[in-house]
Amino acid sequence: MTDSVLFRRLARSYLAFILVLMYVPMLIVALASTSKSRFFVFPVRRYDMKWYENTFSSLQIHDGFLTSLTVAFCVALISVVLALFGALAYARHDWRGKSFFQQILLVPVFFPQSVLGLALQLWFNSFGVVMSWQATVFAQLVWIAPIVTLIMAIQAFGYDASVEEAAGDLGASRWQIFRDITIPLLGPGIFSGFMFAVLLSWGNFPLAYFTSGADVTIPEWLYGKMIGGYTPMVPAVGFLSVLAGALALGIGFSLQALLARRKNR
Amino acid sequence: MELRGVDKYFGDLAAVNQINLAFQEGEFFTLVGPSGSGKTTLLRMLAGMDKPTRGDILLRGERINDRPANWRPTCMVFQSLALFPHMTVGGNVEYPLKCRGTPPAERKERASRCLELSHLPISYYDRPVTTCSGGERQRVALARALAFDPEILFFDEPLSAIDYRLRKTLEKEIKDIQRETGKTFVYITHSLEEAMVMSDRIGVMRDGGLAQIGTPHEIYSSPVNRFVSEFMGEVNSIAVTPGQDGKLWCASLGASITPPSPLDASFKQGTLMIRPENMRLVDADEAADTNVFSGELFNEYVLGSRIQYQIRINDDTFLVERLRESGSPESGEQIRFGWSAEDSMLFPE
Amino acid sequence: MGTLISRHWSTLSSGLLCSAPLFILLGLGFFGPLALVVLYSVQPRGSFSPFGTPTLENYIDIIEQTFYLSFGWSLLLAIISTAILLLICYPLALTIKRHSGTVANILTLLVIAPLFVAENIRLQGWVLFFDKSGFLDGGLNYLFGFGPGSLVNNVPAIVFGMVYVYLPFMLFPILLGLSNVPADVREAALDLGASRWRIFRDIEIPLAMPGILIGSLLCFVISLGAFSEAKFLGKGVIVTIAQDIESAFTFGQNWPRGSALAVLLIILAGTAVFLAMRRIDLNKMLGSR
Repeated sequence: MTDSVLFRRLARSYLAFILVLMYVPMLIVALASTSKSRFFVFPVRRYDMKWYENTFSSLQIHDGFLTSLTVAFCVALISVVLALFGALAYARHDWRGKSFFQQILLVPVFFPQSVLGLALQLWFNSFGVVMSWQATVFAQLVWIAPIVTLIMAIQAFGYDASVEEAAGDLGASRWQIFRDITIPLLGPGIFSGFMFAVLLSWGNFPLAYFTSGADVTIPEWLYGKMIGGYTPMVPAVGFLSVLAGALALGIGFSLQALLARRKNR
Repeated sequence: MELRGVDKYFGDLAAVNQINLAFQEGEFFTLVGPSGSGKTTLLRMLAGMDKPTRGDILLRGERINDRPANWRPTCMVFQSLALFPHMTVGGNVEYPLKCRGTPPAERKERASRCLELSHLPISYYDRPVTTCSGGERQRVALARALAFDPEILFFDEPLSAIDYRLRKTLEKEIKDIQRETGKTFVYITHSLEEAMVMSDRIGVMRDGGLAQIGTPHEIYSSPVNRFVSEFMGEVNSIAVTPGQDGKLWCASLGASITPPSPLDASFKQGTLMIRPENMRLVDADEAADTNVFSGELFNEYVLGSRIQYQIRINDDTFLVERLRESGSPESGEQIRFGWSAEDSMLFPE
Repeated sequence: MGTLISRHWSTLSSGLLCSAPLFILLGLGFFGPLALVVLYSVQPRGSFSPFGTPTLENYIDIIEQTFYLSFGWSLLLAIISTAILLLICYPLALTIKRHSGTVANILTLLVIAPLFVAENIRLQGWVLFFDKSGFLDGGLNYLFGFGPGSLVNNVPAIVFGMVYVYLPFMLFPILLGLSNVPADVREAALDLGASRWRIFRDIEIPLAMPGILIGSLLCFVISLGAFSEAKFLGKGVIVTIAQDIESAFTFGQNWPRGSALAVLLIILAGTAVFLAMRRIDLNKMLGSR
């Protein structure tokens, strides 16, 4: 449609404005982490990287980082496996409980996380399960697995089932079809699902807060310090956490691009 | 409506190049051409969806380049039909009237008349458009386009995705509607048969330009160049050079050929083209005229009511088409075939 | 014959088999805990066991005490932020859609990427921006000698925080919804004589409605459970229901009360979900043919 130039320019500046706005807080956090003084004052009087030194030498942070990483990885792995089958049930097969399944799956996503976290705390308590990072993995799975399933379902919808039939016709067994056709075709979805899960878990706070007990993830550590005992280590850790997430995204995408290029060769 | 010196560039690519074309009021004009020749781009500019990079689009002499699509007395039927999926049949057809503020009672009446015109039962009025079959949706699209009484209708390959029988029916219906309403129809198709059957005039496009404009008969029997000739149907081509006694010489056949008309002095080389249906089989004992040759029959195709024979001479293949009759020659036989000089077309290079 | 049977079998139970693990996860991890919460909500005050005699005293307490305040606040905040997000994200989505496919994807990714950063960090950034001597106040003071002082500690700041954090949740579904508006249908409407406004009202909104509904629903429900914004940007000027629930469980040591509050919240969220979901066909939205 032909539009006026003014309209187009307005629209683009709006987009740019929002984009910048999305990233402002993280830039501020980066700035705050370099301030020498304990409390953030702008303009920064003196710059110092000592908060980063503290961060790197802190045992607490090391543990927190490891915990976050382990949780994220476990959640992503299990989610993807569950979601792979779930996506097939969601999009590919026609079965009696299908629409029920589709609606039920969405409920944990459309749900206040803090309430879910508390409910799980109650639940674990009654079974005598100790709050730990494993409990957090379980808790995050409840929220993240459906999301990953949805992502992969979108991929599965674009999937041409006759390819599987053709393979069967050529003599492949059900397992072979699954291994050689279904999984590769769903590949991009599997990959993005995994990345999504890692990042969602990495940055998640409410569920981790209520279920991890003694184990502390990075967001939890941040929360604790932000309530009481604020030091610029908080923005330092925060910024590093952002970097880690961005790094993971970057690695993920380059891997994907690499694999795609290798395939096309 | 008229196009004068119209260019359309996408970046460096000239999709449409210096087009000059005028449509008469009330005619059925078809644009044909290979994919990428610029037909759809041209249509979109006429309808107002895109603007020409250069040149003018005129309606009754008035320049309308800057008039947006909703202000032109034109309507386009898209290849995908672009029906509103969330509305009923009636809702779709009524929509242009709704946009123009027509009161509901009148809208319904006019829309019903359009449905009738398109041979859709009135009972379809409240049906959701998504429940209609392919052919029914075509009719809805047509009815919708006619609803607000536009002067010119544009069609972008509307029948390309339908089966043969339905297509034939709809072709006739569209042509009837055009004749009844007296509107100007500008039609794009890649089916030559369709173009020949429906059009008053045809424009053959190639690489963004118009190769020839004329009536179907003109384009078919007097094509202006090789491209048009080949595009409009199967044709036999022979490379020829000037021969003795004002005749043509064909190197591959090693024989003289009588040209369709006296040769121009400047003629150096060219292609002689004969349509398969202008060729005929010559009995073995008939007197040998010029333009009669002998070759090996190696294939025959049944094309409905006609038969096409493929005859081979050395490395060349010739196609001869005729009505089916009894006494078909045997494959592998030596066969004589030929043509009358005036049925051939010579294109100098 | 053998393939016929196995295919029939495959249609019957493949779906069930594939979905079973997820069903189990949800049963154990979601519906089970929620059922437990309901059970606790009818237990006597302060008890730690779910097996006492059922009583409605917790619900009565809630009505008698001032919990309706925090409910009201949560509801109000959720409605306001959802409305603001709709107004912000719709034009945003339209603008993104104007670009070509790959560019549009990159833009979407850029807007959504901050989601992966913990909301704590992002909210902290805004606190540092708006607080006294923060980026805004300090910067303006430095440049012009005066500043607005602390812009946090109030309700608008909380709304701002919520809008900021939940923006991707509204944007993504609206983008999906808009992709259900084919370009040729838009052009056809224009060709038939529709004005821009008409196209927006008659074509775009109805076709994009599923996306709009899902986005609004998602934002509404998630913001009902909003937790951190009020704490950090509001610094406790108001208390949301999620915070009340949490304190009932921790400081208050009153699990039944916390559960009752949670149940009420769930009912609120559930009603919204139920009302909106009946109008949406997810299959079509996510792209099945």
